[in-house]
Amino acid sequence: MKVDPSFAERVSKGTPFNAEACLNCGQCTALCPIGIHLLPRKLFRYVLLGAEEKVLEETDTIYSCLLCKMCEENCPAGVHITENVRALRVLLAREEMQLAPVEG
Amino acid sequence: MSEDPSQEVPAPKERRVGVFLCQCGGNISDYVDTEKARATLEKDPGVAHIEVQMFACSDAGQQCIVRAIQEKKLDGLVVASCSPKLHTMTFRGAARRGGLNPYEYTQANVREQDSWAHTHDRQGTTDKAVAITRAAIARTVRSRPLEPIRTDTAPSALVVGAGVSGLRSALALSDLGISVHLVERAEKPGGQLTRWARLFPNDKSGRAIVDSLLSELGRRDNIVLYTRAEVVEKEGHIGDFTVKVRTSNGEKVTLKVGAIVVATGFEPYTPPKGEFGYGEDGVLTLPEFEELLGDGSRPIEFHGRPVRTITYVYCVGSRNPEGHTYCSRYCCSATSYAAIRAAGRDPHVRQYHLFRDIRTYGKYESLYERALKSGSLFLRYKDDSPPTVTREGGGLLVKVADQLTGGEGVEIPTDLVVLVTGMVPRENTVLTDVLKLPVGKEGFYNEIHQKLRPVETVVDGVFLAGTAQGPKNTAESVASALAAVSKTAGILLKGYVDLDPLVAKIDTSACTWCGLCAQACPYGAIEEVAEGDKRVAKVVPVLCKGEGACVPVCPLQAIEVEGYTHDQMRSMIEALASEEE
Repeated sequence: MKVDPSFAERVSKGTPFNAEACLNCGQCTALCPIGIHLLPRKLFRYVLLGAEEKVLEETDTIYSCLLCKMCEENCPAGVHITENVRALRVLLAREEMQLAPVEG
Repeated sequence: MSEDPSQEVPAPKERRVGVFLCQCGGNISDYVDTEKARATLEKDPGVAHIEVQMFACSDAGQQCIVRAIQEKKLDGLVVASCSPKLHTMTFRGAARRGGLNPYEYTQANVREQDSWAHTHDRQGTTDKAVAITRAAIARTVRSRPLEPIRTDTAPSALVVGAGVSGLRSALALSDLGISVHLVERAEKPGGQLTRWARLFPNDKSGRAIVDSLLSELGRRDNIVLYTRAEVVEKEGHIGDFTVKVRTSNGEKVTLKVGAIVVATGFEPYTPPKGEFGYGEDGVLTLPEFEELLGDGSRPIEFHGRPVRTITYVYCVGSRNPEGHTYCSRYCCSATSYAAIRAAGRDPHVRQYHLFRDIRTYGKYESLYERALKSGSLFLRYKDDSPPTVTREGGGLLVKVADQLTGGEGVEIPTDLVVLVTGMVPRENTVLTDVLKLPVGKEGFYNEIHQKLRPVETVVDGVFLAGTAQGPKNTAESVASALAAVSKTAGILLKGYVDLDPLVAKIDTSACTWCGLCAQACPYGAIEEVAEGDKRVAKVVPVLCKGEGACVPVCPLQAIEVEGYTHDQMRSMIEALASEEE
């Protein structure tokens, strides 16, 4: 796959996506109460590298997240993991499901 | 030192040797039955006192030894404990405090060479401990008191190399009142540091650091700087070296110095053409990239084109089993720091770091963290699948298997490839030969012991500073330079130095000067002199290291090393080979 920095920019459009500080320690994966194997470090890496295909393949996974913040509370690098998951959901809603944002 | 070879060594039975068996808190006694060894050795000839100690090197242990020497009127001392490298000086000190000549002490190594080596066999280790200790006793009963060789020192030093380590050494020596001759091979002093516009962790400019050191140097009247100069000859010994330096106009200047600090630095690794695309336009080494990065604040351009993507390949020329096997220490931190600066110049620049392991040790970890936060992406590759750099169409393309996404093949079109190159030793054949410096397997100069004697070399009075010894960053180089200065000043300011008297001596009545011993000596410590109407060999005691290469080559057995005489060696071998009934 070819790196594509524009993908991360598109993800960031709605809700800011930021995973640069991730150290790939795996704390998040180990603590996930529903055992999401991919979340969040590998998924975020796909975003940073611009592997859009890979991210879309994981739509179900992205929506399985409980947003419980167990991972975020324990992240040694202070990555806002749940915000990032939201950013991905916003992207999927906007681009894949063609949903318009709810008027406030 | 007494020069009388006819001095009688008292027969073993007349000697009163004290033997201390150290348990090393279990390191020895868990595997050696020290009590049994004590009972076995108690009746040996010459043993006047024997006891087992928990830790012989402890304060209490040493006091016991001192007391036993005085109360039992001991005239020899054996401690059966660890390697002599660790505690010879400790127990020589204890012997001296007890009133005993320190050279009547022998250390028997029953830890590294016995208890640690044969942990499965208690009977065997005990027998071996007895044999090793018995050999030490045999040597001690044949020992005689020796005095250290005292030699005067000249209050001046030679510093070779005027990079940051050499300059810092020269200034620190000058601070201590030692006059310095600073010899630099290049046209200008300053060394590698002048290439670096900014240095971590304090954002200082390398050029500015060098300039401030040089302006300070100009204010000192006890430092003489020679540029385009080389050390071509060295004679003499610690405290009194005569060095010849060939200066820029081809003249040879003779200098008298008491010690020499070698600060010849490193060479940046230059990859061969084709290694990770080196030679292609846009593929740079780390120092080349550093020069491009410089001190500017606008987005980086290369050949007039904006640089939007930078890909770093780490460990080029380092940690390679077929080339330089070592880690060059500074490159991970320097690259993280360069990435932070590149991002500072252009927040939109894309930076990919292809690494094997990141070693931003100590506080430099914060550089790695800042690089991550400034948008750098780190991709780990495995040793067996290194990235490739090719030219595709108009641009460069880097391909790598990213381990953290399970070996996903990633392609990075990039404007610049930076090969994170390490440090390699400098070509210094003449100096190495002139100073007889020991070179390690990686090609850098070797210290005596990495931790215990980190700036001393086996050549007395010659010290190492900075990267001549191995990769170091600037702060570490300066630290080692100051360590070398402390060691140098410790010798020169005292005005004299005491050397071990365990040196070769020649029985001139037997010697017929064949020259074999002089050929065998790696230190050039044997010279030919006239005695009466014949030619004989003479040892220069201050040069001799007592390593004994001359002893076996002498066809007339006219050479012995003090403390390791033929008599002593034979008795030790006999003791080691003797069987317990």
